Amino acid sequence: MIKFLQKNLRLFFLYSRFTLKTTLQARVGIVFFLAGKLFRFLFLLVFILLLFGKTKIISGYSLNQAVIFYLTFNVVDSLTQILFREVYRFRPLVVSGSFDMVLLKPMHPFTKILFGGIDYMDILFVIPYLFLVVLFFFKTIAFPYSIFNILSSLLIYILFLFNSLILASAFHIVVLALGIITTEVDHTIMIYRDLSGLGRFPMEIYKEPIRSLFTFIIPVGVMMSFPSKALFGLLSGQFMWYTFGISLSSFVFSLVFWNYALKRYQSWGG
Amino acid sequence: MIKVANLTKIYKTHIKDQNPFKDVFMRKYKDVIALDKISFEIGENESVGFIGPNGAGKTTTLKIISGILYPTSGFVSVNGFTPFDKNPRFLKQIAFVMGQRNQLIWDLPATDTFELQKEIYEIPEHEYKKNVGELTEILDCKNLTSKPVKTLSLGERMKMELIAGLLHRPKIVFFDEPTIGLDIFSQETIRTFIREFQEEFKSTVILTSHYLEDVKKLSKRLIIINKGRIIYDGTLKKIIEQYSLTKRVTITLEKPANDTELRAIDIPIRYMFPKVVYKIRKSVLPEKIKAITQNLPFSDLTVEDETIEDIIKTFFRKNNE
Repeated sequence: MIKFLQKNLRLFFLYSRFTLKTTLQARVGIVFFLAGKLFRFLFLLVFILLLFGKTKIISGYSLNQAVIFYLTFNVVDSLTQILFREVYRFRPLVVSGSFDMVLLKPMHPFTKILFGGIDYMDILFVIPYLFLVVLFFFKTIAFPYSIFNILSSLLIYILFLFNSLILASAFHIVVLALGIITTEVDHTIMIYRDLSGLGRFPMEIYKEPIRSLFTFIIPVGVMMSFPSKALFGLLSGQFMWYTFGISLSSFVFSLVFWNYALKRYQSWGG
Repeated sequence: MIKVANLTKIYKTHIKDQNPFKDVFMRKYKDVIALDKISFEIGENESVGFIGPNGAGKTTTLKIISGILYPTSGFVSVNGFTPFDKNPRFLKQIAFVMGQRNQLIWDLPATDTFELQKEIYEIPEHEYKKNVGELTEILDCKNLTSKPVKTLSLGERMKMELIAGLLHRPKIVFFDEPTIGLDIFSQETIRTFIREFQEEFKSTVILTSHYLEDVKKLSKRLIIINKGRIIYDGTLKKIIEQYSLTKRVTITLEKPANDTELRAIDIPIRYMFPKVVYKIRKSVLPEKIKAITQNLPFSDLTVEDETIEDIIKTFFRKNNE
């Protein structure tokens, strides 16, 4: 098992290196891509600041806390884009039948189709996002606050970010499985992006039953909002267990669905 | 080595309805039988050609044996493995080279794809270097491996594809239309390479192709599939003996001949002075040749076997009767 993981990790880095080599060939594309990301981030940040120019509190959260929600959304979103970029290129692989070549290799197919296209451009954004989260976190806490409390809050935050990535993996594996069954990926991934976009702000801004829907049925809130809530110490122990439980069960479900889809793969294109 | 018994594959396809509303909300499906209880065995170091019309089930058979597709029912065992279990030890023993698909990284040189294959198949460094050296030498393409794949011609890409596919020295190689779209020179290069590869590494080669020349040059055994069923499984020689009942006689006449003179020999299949072509049954060939030499003044006469295409056409015609 360890040997298998080591091999797939080596392949993951190799695929990443080749993706970077390919990306660097289109220099103009890189400039536009980064500019687009930067504008989107700045635009929403300005929007939040303008919003708080009129009101000091949103659904019980201060400006600094709302910014952390927004930054956390961006961290999770960027990490998923970094890790799962290849999912966006899955459709051509399925409709052309080139996915056959992936299935024939003695490696886990996810090494190629899920993690095989690391987007290094997004890494450039994650580092400042994380730096800003820490900065705004210090602004939210009322001193005196012990170092132990600060570190444990940040540790729990990282743990919840990791949990969000497990949920995001599950979402992306489901998208891949649907891609095999329906040959449709682009719209499904857009639905995922639109839904996850709702997590830019605290779930409390939504009314019931929408809030429960995005917490218990489609766990967008768990993925995007819970890390920030955990950082503020606003999650009860019960909710923490619920969070890990729902991530694990979503992940297991996605793997079962993936195996179901593989059995229905028709190898289109001749 | 490869054992297939009662293999069936059924695809579910949707029936298009004229009414778009019904087509979306009350969609109907039908079962399409791609393979209908086929059985065969292939031994070690055999070279087998699968032929048949489009949609006959050739590629589906290969895809099930290689583990890409799951069968609907039936038994498949390859070197003791069940292919669709996708055991890495099994996958390391096989290669699938497809003329219509490629695994090369489009924007990068082929050497990068080779490096990836090295890691995927865990080929030791010295073996990797040796294999790349040997394969590039046989295919005479050492200068191509460092060029971006997108700048290569179709024939050149196919050479790179073969190297990438065979770097790990597989025991079983599936070739699905390996010469499709290539010019006659590239086709010949690929055929020669496959033959040499099989002879040198004692691999089992399973091939599908619409170019019967590929099958003729590369396969001793032929499996003909039609409508998901095996209708012939035997040697190429046997099918030629059984279904090649005529010879093609081409005469270059010295002076124009009229219809009566030509028909006195047999009904010609083509006549355009000075060439006249007959298709003559083997049993009456000596007497017909004698009649030609006595009645038609000619400067040249050639007797040829039927083409493999003609033989297979005859086979299908007789099977459909």
